[in-house]
Amino acid sequence: MELLKVSNLTKIYPKHKVAAIDNMDLSIDKGEIFGLVGESGCGKSTLAKSILRLTDVQRGSILYKGDDLLKAAARKMQGIRKEIQIIFQDPYLSLDPRVKIGSALEEVFLIHYNYPGPKRRKKAAELLDMVGLGKSYFNRLPSELSGGEKQRVGIARALATGPEFIICDEPVSSLDISIQAQILNLLMDLQEQKALTYLFISHDLGVVASICDRVAVMQSGRIVEIGLCEEVFRNPQHSYTKKLLDSISLT
Amino acid sequence: MFLRIEGLRVKYNDIEVVRGVDLEIGKGECIGLVGESGCGKTTVGLSITRLIPGHKGRISSGRILFEGKNLLVLSPEELRKYRGSRISYVFQEPLSSLNPVFTIHEQLKEVLPKDDDVEGSISEALKSVGLKELIDRKKVYPHELSGGMQQRAMIAMAIVSKPDLLILDEPTTALDVTVQKKILELVMELKKNLGLSILFISHDLRTVFELADGVGVMYAGRIVEQGPAKTLMSRPGHPYTRGLVNSIPSIEHRKERFNAIEGRTPLFSELPEGCKFYPRCKFRIKPCREKEPFLGKFSDGHYSRCIRSKELIAHGTIKGI
Ligand SMILES: Nc1ncnc2c1ncn2[C@@H]1O[C@H](COP(=O)(O)OP(=O)(O)OP(=O)(O)O)[C@@H](O)[C@H]1O
Ligand SMILES: Nc1ncnc2c1ncn2[C@@H]1O[C@H](COP(=O)(O)OP(=O)(O)OP(=O)(O)O)[C@@H](O)[C@H]1O
Ligand code: SF4
Ligand SMILES: [Mg+2]
Ligand SMILES: [Mg+2]
Repeated sequence: MELLKVSNLTKIYPKHKVAAIDNMDLSIDKGEIFGLVGESGCGKSTLAKSILRLTDVQRGSILYKGDDLLKAAARKMQGIRKEIQIIFQDPYLSLDPRVKIGSALEEVFLIHYNYPGPKRRKKAAELLDMVGLGKSYFNRLPSELSGGEKQRVGIARALATGPEFIICDEPVSSLDISIQAQILNLLMDLQEQKALTYLFISHDLGVVASICDRVAVMQSGRIVEIGLCEEVFRNPQHSYTKKLLDSISLT
Repeated sequence: MFLRIEGLRVKYNDIEVVRGVDLEIGKGECIGLVGESGCGKTTVGLSITRLIPGHKGRISSGRILFEGKNLLVLSPEELRKYRGSRISYVFQEPLSSLNPVFTIHEQLKEVLPKDDDVEGSISEALKSVGLKELIDRKKVYPHELSGGMQQRAMIAMAIVSKPDLLILDEPTTALDVTVQKKILELVMELKKNLGLSILFISHDLRTVFELADGVGVMYAGRIVEQGPAKTLMSRPGHPYTRGLVNSIPSIEHRKERFNAIEGRTPLFSELPEGCKFYPRCKFRIKPCREKEPFLGKFSDGHYSRCIRSKELIAHGTIKGI
């Protein structure tokens, strides 16, 4: 079943003549882990932000369960933000520097579920625990965390609403290999248990190859290659995909 | 020695997170620093230029000798002569360190030596990090760049001043392999041609092992193993390093669980007695709990903080309890 369908999407930033997303079509099935790779600046994060209407687009439609998100009223969008979550590439963007980690997580349970205080605290602590951060992180400000710790708080926050679809924009880029493995295992477990769907943006082809079902390769705002992961990686067609794969085999 | 860190200790809110680190970087040498998220890598890097965030963090002891001069006792004016011009820093989070109200061009201009052909040098710098498209986009601000572009803009700023020491803190987390290669080649060229010394903090073990002349592995605020990349990769002496090396995923892997080191990162406020890796170590024996092992020497330039390193190096694997 198609969960997300993007058609003719075009986004041009002001002051910038070239399109960051150029007439793009893309569809993602429910329960799928969909990989998105492509060179720096090709428009991956812009696509992620467009889906959640965090940036305006010029043209196109984004159907989520059949409803066009670009036309959804503010009220409806509020509900959808509970179902679709994003793990930002720069955790700096998702965390309010003045709000302690525990309160930031509790807030999600208050807004979306109206849980009473003790239940909020319990849930928030559970989430922190899932990403490998103990209770002592509860009372810390974002500035009091290391880079990888901040990234994990961003992940915990995205998981808090109990989403169906998670847009992961470089979700494990600042984590050491072992913690990265724990987080990826967690994301895969959730996918299995709850049939979550992921749009998984990453520059790490190894990670994409191992967790994604399908992958799309983007260049200058367009998708230049798309297919099952093992096929694209085994038998790349587009020159950019070939170049990407070549540069890993060399290292 | 070009840079020598001696007995560095750093506290945040009275909790020690760097618990005595010694590290040396020779002229024209690249030293890698790896370790678990939160183990203190960035804190070590920031200490070199005394950028530990003010009111809650402080360096409680140690010396940082840059060409023999202890940076930790310099006056702020003296320190300014080093920061930026002789020592440059590529921060882990580009957005938090780029200035949001100035354009990339303005920020590059700011760090360029004054007598240069400014426009020419800016174009050159942008080109070298693959940001040719920004040469004509003079009014571009940091938030108008993609994550990887911000990272590259920061790298450009760090190298235009032709520093002697470059601290790279996770410099390529947002870059795809092709761009990453280009950037690292550029840095390695500067190292070769100008004798640039580099502290390379990264969780990308493959890259660190490939580029660094020597690697330090940190765990819970201390170096637990140190040595040439090849040795650490093929015959690690510390069980933590072994776990890390075993976690490197292969690209072949499909839909299987990833290998992770079992157990959790210990909290700095609740570190165990004795060896800090004890609760997670497969090779632990009773004496490990008695006192924290010292950094013992096992071959030329190879050190490890584990009482069983000798057996581990000799046999590859051993039994624990
Ligand atoms: N807020 C903005 N204003 C103007 N231009 C922008 C803005 N955000 C992004 N851009 C431009 O849009 C293009 C695509 O950026 P985007 O962040 O989507 O790339 P990306 O594929 O996520 O790259 P990376 O892998 O480096 O994160 C880039 O050229 C960038 O300069
Ligand atoms: N300003 C601060 N106040 C309190 N604790 C802090 C502060 N900054 C960092 N810490 C703590 O100090 C420890 C070391 O942080 P540091 O940023 O040096 O880690 P790191 O090794 O660079 O980790 P990462 O790989 O995740 O970036 C972490 O446990 C972190 O929670
Ligand atoms: S000293 Fe003991 S517990 Fe510590 S790493 Fe070595 S074997 Fe493991
Ligand atoms: Mg991006
Ligand atoms: Mg760090």
